Amino acid sequence: MALSGIQIYKLLPQTNCKECGFPTCLAFAMKLAAKQVELGSCPYVSDASKKQLAESAAPPIRLITLKAGSEVKAGNEVVMFRHEKTFYNKPGLFVRVKASDPELAAKVAKADAYKVNYVGMDFTIDGFAVEADGGDFVRAVKAVRDTTKRPLILIADDAPLLDSALSLLAGESALIYAAESSSYEPLADLAKKHKSALVLKADSFDAFADLTQKVQAKGVEDMVLDLGGKNLGEWLTRSTQARRLAIKANQRAVGYPTIFFAGQNGPEKEAVYAAQAIAKYAGFVVLDTFTPELAYALLVLRENIYTDPQKPIQVQPGIYEINSPNADSPVLVTTNFSITYFSVANEVEGSGLPAWLVVTDAEGMSVLTAWAAGKFDAERIAKAIKGFDVASKVNKKRIVLPGHVAVLSGELEEELAGWEIRVGPREAVDIPAFMKQALN
Amino acid sequence: MPIEIPKDKWPGSIKKVTLGATSAEGGTRAKSVTVGGETTLPYLHFEAPTPNKPVIAIEIKSHRPDDWSPLLGEVWGDAMNDPAQWAKKAEEAGADIIVLALTLADSPEDAVRIVKSVLAATGLPLIVWGPGQAEKDNDLLVPIAEATKGEKLMLGICEDKNYRTIVATAMANGHVIQARTPMDVNLAKQLNILITDMGLPADRIMMDPTTGALGYGIEYGYSVMERLRLAALQGDSMTQLPMIVTPGFEAWKAKESKVGDGVPEAWGDWKFRAIHWETLTAVALVESGADIIVLRHPESVKRVKETIEELIAV
Amino acid sequence: MQHTVSFTHEEKQSSVSVPTGTMLSDAAHLAGVEIGQPCGGQGRCGRCAVLVTDGNVRRRSTLRLSPADVEQGYALACQTVVEGDVLINVPPQEKIERRLTTDRVVAEVTIPADYDFDQHQSIHRVYLELTPPTMEDQTDDWARLQTALRTQANIPEVTCSLHFLQTLGKTLRDGEWQVTLVVDRDMEFPEKPVRLIEVFPGRVDDYSPLWGCAIDIGTTTVSLWLVDLVSGHVRAQVAEYNGQIARGEDVISRIIYSGKAGGEQEMRQLVLDTINELVETACKRVNAKPEDVMKATISGNSTMMHLLLGIPAGSIRLSPFITAVNHPPVMLAKEVGINIHHGGAVDCLPGVASYVGADITAGVLSSGLEHAEHVSLFIDVGTNGEMVLGNRDWLVTCACSAGPAFEGAGVVNGMRATQGAIEEVWINGETFEPTYRVIGGGKPKGICGSGLISLLAEAFLTGVIDKAGNVNLMAGNSRVREGAHGGEYVLAWGAESESGEDIVLTRVDIDNLLRAKAAIYAGFSILADTVGVPLEMADRVLVGGSFGKYINVEKAVQIGLLPDMEWSRFEFLGNTSVKGAYAALLDWRMRDRITEIAKRMTYIELSADNSFYDAFTSALFLPHTDMNKFPSVAAALER
Ligand code: SF4
Ligand code: FES
Repeated sequence: MALSGIQIYKLLPQTNCKECGFPTCLAFAMKLAAKQVELGSCPYVSDASKKQLAESAAPPIRLITLKAGSEVKAGNEVVMFRHEKTFYNKPGLFVRVKASDPELAAKVAKADAYKVNYVGMDFTIDGFAVEADGGDFVRAVKAVRDTTKRPLILIADDAPLLDSALSLLAGESALIYAAESSSYEPLADLAKKHKSALVLKADSFDAFADLTQKVQAKGVEDMVLDLGGKNLGEWLTRSTQARRLAIKANQRAVGYPTIFFAGQNGPEKEAVYAAQAIAKYAGFVVLDTFTPELAYALLVLRENIYTDPQKPIQVQPGIYEINSPNADSPVLVTTNFSITYFSVANEVEGSGLPAWLVVTDAEGMSVLTAWAAGKFDAERIAKAIKGFDVASKVNKKRIVLPGHVAVLSGELEEELAGWEIRVGPREAVDIPAFMKQALN
Repeated sequence: MPIEIPKDKWPGSIKKVTLGATSAEGGTRAKSVTVGGETTLPYLHFEAPTPNKPVIAIEIKSHRPDDWSPLLGEVWGDAMNDPAQWAKKAEEAGADIIVLALTLADSPEDAVRIVKSVLAATGLPLIVWGPGQAEKDNDLLVPIAEATKGEKLMLGICEDKNYRTIVATAMANGHVIQARTPMDVNLAKQLNILITDMGLPADRIMMDPTTGALGYGIEYGYSVMERLRLAALQGDSMTQLPMIVTPGFEAWKAKESKVGDGVPEAWGDWKFRAIHWETLTAVALVESGADIIVLRHPESVKRVKETIEELIAV
Repeated sequence: MQHTVSFTHEEKQSSVSVPTGTMLSDAAHLAGVEIGQPCGGQGRCGRCAVLVTDGNVRRRSTLRLSPADVEQGYALACQTVVEGDVLINVPPQEKIERRLTTDRVVAEVTIPADYDFDQHQSIHRVYLELTPPTMEDQTDDWARLQTALRTQANIPEVTCSLHFLQTLGKTLRDGEWQVTLVVDRDMEFPEKPVRLIEVFPGRVDDYSPLWGCAIDIGTTTVSLWLVDLVSGHVRAQVAEYNGQIARGEDVISRIIYSGKAGGEQEMRQLVLDTINELVETACKRVNAKPEDVMKATISGNSTMMHLLLGIPAGSIRLSPFITAVNHPPVMLAKEVGINIHHGGAVDCLPGVASYVGADITAGVLSSGLEHAEHVSLFIDVGTNGEMVLGNRDWLVTCACSAGPAFEGAGVVNGMRATQGAIEEVWINGETFEPTYRVIGGGKPKGICGSGLISLLAEAFLTGVIDKAGNVNLMAGNSRVREGAHGGEYVLAWGAESESGEDIVLTRVDIDNLLRAKAAIYAGFSILADTVGVPLEMADRVLVGGSFGKYINVEKAVQIGLLPDMEWSRFEFLGNTSVKGAYAALLDWRMRDRITEIAKRMTYIELSADNSFYDAFTSALFLPHTDMNKFPSVAAALER
């Protein structure tokens, strides 16, 4: 478990000798806790402390990287709840195709080409799972590999077949599905030979712990667990238990990412199943259905859940419509700190008066803080007014500034020639009265 | 290798809140609905059972809304013109509770009449929301609370700037309060303190922590709910209240659900997307501890109900 | 186009010709009419209002004026531009009332027990008897002096100023080759050349005073102690408002003002004027002259230090918040512009970061925190709240912006703690009727910081406001009513007040006070969290800042400004910054210690993540969202 600055400090020599380049052992300890320096910079740490610190630094869930033309990472998580720190590695979204499917290449091509933009970021599917189901598996894998450069999961239990398929993927790290305790050896050998990761299946954590150790003994380190289960309740229980064992009980034997198949009860349930897996700890999520609307919803959910909650809460800069404004409605300006935005938006909404609310990018700071830090100045406001093309939405070129930054009105007049700059109230509560009295 | 599964034993638990009163209980509802009572995190049956499963409320309005997505207009049709009809259809669609949202256009007399007509049309417990403007809310909710004394409605929306009037009338007339705060653990707790300070017992309050829709800040609401639930289980009495969330309202505000034209092709089919949007928003909140989920589309209602069933199946 | 702007101010007329678009405040400046700009000309304070009696102007902002004011012709000088010939009436300017600390308090200062002038002081006197020159001994005066220094005082290497050489010959002869030098010597590195500051004829009594001063440049108040370096006695304590106030009340406003053309120079001059006036006043008290002062040690926050030295301060407020200099080298008074002996040394103490300046490092020294065996907390309550947590092993520090509410600014009826300020309030829980105490005993003019704390605590305990600060309008009491900014509480009716108008506490005031106290509480709780030390572990809570003297612990705890602990753990230290400067002025080892403290402190940037915001919102409640943290207040509420 990660140690706090003062806990680390207690393991340091506490001599403040400065050789590490920091003025105090505490300063060094806090940097260490924040993972901004290496323990090696202090020459005087005792061996006992070193051991303890190294243990605390090792990730409780192993990092698994699947590699081909692109990469997918899973594991390395340190918390049960995202607010405790953050979730780091977004679960990879894979689409499963069957070797016997005559339209396999076309399906892969379509999903592979899929790209969607969400608040300025481009999202895609992460990879594909190819399942041996009686068709020509090796040819199917080749066809998939010819169509996409993304990492693959190979689903088969016939070792020689897998061996030939994996031989097509030289230089990559694929994921092999799946080894059980009765038959793990050939697959473990394959994983070692092809530098692949290996999915393990078992029906209890006891069995998983045995199996991971056996596979490890075979020289395979990269493992992924399929926890099994029959419904949402069981899946939730098992993935919660796996995460807890790794993080809270420090059980290295089950400290591996998990894989989940969302299509097991048909397409209608798939969205919900995948959503739970994304929120609740899956490392890889395999879909049977690919549709843009499903992919988009899941990619956005994944992005949301894996957003770093330590960053100040921001709203999207932009122009917001409140109470269905028209061309004669006033334009108010504020920053993108969510609390600021909400207090302004709520007051206006509550007043029933229509307005355009221009939210500028002030890096998530409130009006005064942003102004103090130079993130809410005439230049930035002018940029927002122009960038969001406010002029095209209203008849009267007039904007209302928060009262706290009245000082900007002069400069803004220069930046925004032809616009009338009005100074509104300082507190959001006074906005409705201001709108009624002063803006007519 | 035997592995012991760590189990949490929490000192705190969530209070139970009952909405609606049957004739035996002094009201006219066919049955009442009780939520809350959890003693651990959502659906971890290996630690404790879920004593009351989360329920679905369907939101209807006192007048046909002109800013709702056409997809909603399609499914509710003419029923949207008559709150009583709409409530009936909502009950058929699987609602456990009806949410009636009033508008600024309603006069106090109209509002009372509409509430009564909805109560007459279905036997489900009722939640009534004011139009969301402090003065108007008070104007409408007070006469409604008086006219429905004993029905154990839930009255909303109570906020820190305007809570006294609503709480006072809920107290006097035996109703429950929906206490809304903007996505913040502390603010949620503060409002509960203010309300209980007035003397309303905690089992007559539900928290509405506010959420964003999928893609519009759902993660904030999600984490706030997880934190509230954890604080409650750790024994903080001012957070031990069940939670009501409004994913229907949030999701149908999002462009992804609301409109079909002029959106990127990569967003896919409108209808399916809209349902996914509402459903996934709701499911994420179910996972983080919601007790009443207010939805708008019957298809989402069906999917979320199935999800809940599957989560509590042992 | 040029326009004539004519001003009438205190019966005097003056006018000036300016182009279209000139700001009224600038025109006034050109015309020699001074209009105070407490908010730095940001249109925030409304105190620069003037009456436009004729002509065309354009008002950019009228935020701080009522529609009725505008109707009558009022305009904010800092927000209004000239668009034609205009006539302006400038109302009498509010005089800043003086609150000078008097010698009465001098007795409180104890000289460090082990102070040894010879060992610890860098300024010394050296008495020399030179061999007079003869026709045979044609050595020049300077070489002669150097020889004497080497042989009689064991000072092999020296430096001096041109001025010194200019006066040397005459003084040697006036003193008949017996002189007393004042020298500045690095006691830590005695091998360094010794700097000769001044030469006096004859022998100066060893025990006659040798003057130095310790200065704290506060954002609001500048304090100066005049010290006899020989005995270590503080002989005079004087204080004065920082002249920069007229150009902005908080550091941010001042940084912005200093960024305007000529602003840096103006700011520098303003504070120098304040300091020089203080030097003069202090010297007068002890019958000395400013040029008798040989050394000044200066403490103050980083912004004040930059503005004093005329160093651009812009980067302080902009991310990543870097100062130009944390620890300026020792400079000469002449260069700095302080009117003590022009060769006197000016020693600016070191700071840690943009918002943790020398005032805090000096404060830590004088609070004794760096020696504490157990964890202690040091809080400097001011416009910027600064806190340090630690003990002799470690020190962490942070700063947060509390705003000036506790200093009476940004509050409708707020004022400084001077004559006429309500400083303590009691409210009857049944009737909401208040009783209050006014400084000086006359009619109340407003409410000062301690009065606001006391009022807030009483209002909360009696239910005038709820825990979120909402005024209880449902109480049906005439003292609570709907005002222009939401609910308000009437503390004094117009009939009782000096101005004839009601003195009120508004919802907006309450919000400002809540934010100020929440910022400070959040600051130290995050500090404690970051190092993983529970706040209750703090053995002592040391409260500094000139404001610190006036806080009533009970009330401060009731509103959740200070943590709920036994009162015996609190210590109120007054101005720890000037005390630290005093210690450093006397003893080079103390000065080194401050430097050491600056190096040892680990600075925590609060804006780095959300935890501050979380702690802040949870403290934005009376007394706190987590009542378990305030058991004594919970008990008081039960009653
Ligand atoms: S090198 Fe080690 S002992 Fe020395 S100060 Fe750094 S952490 Fe402390
Ligand atoms: S309003 Fe003009 S100086 Fe403050």
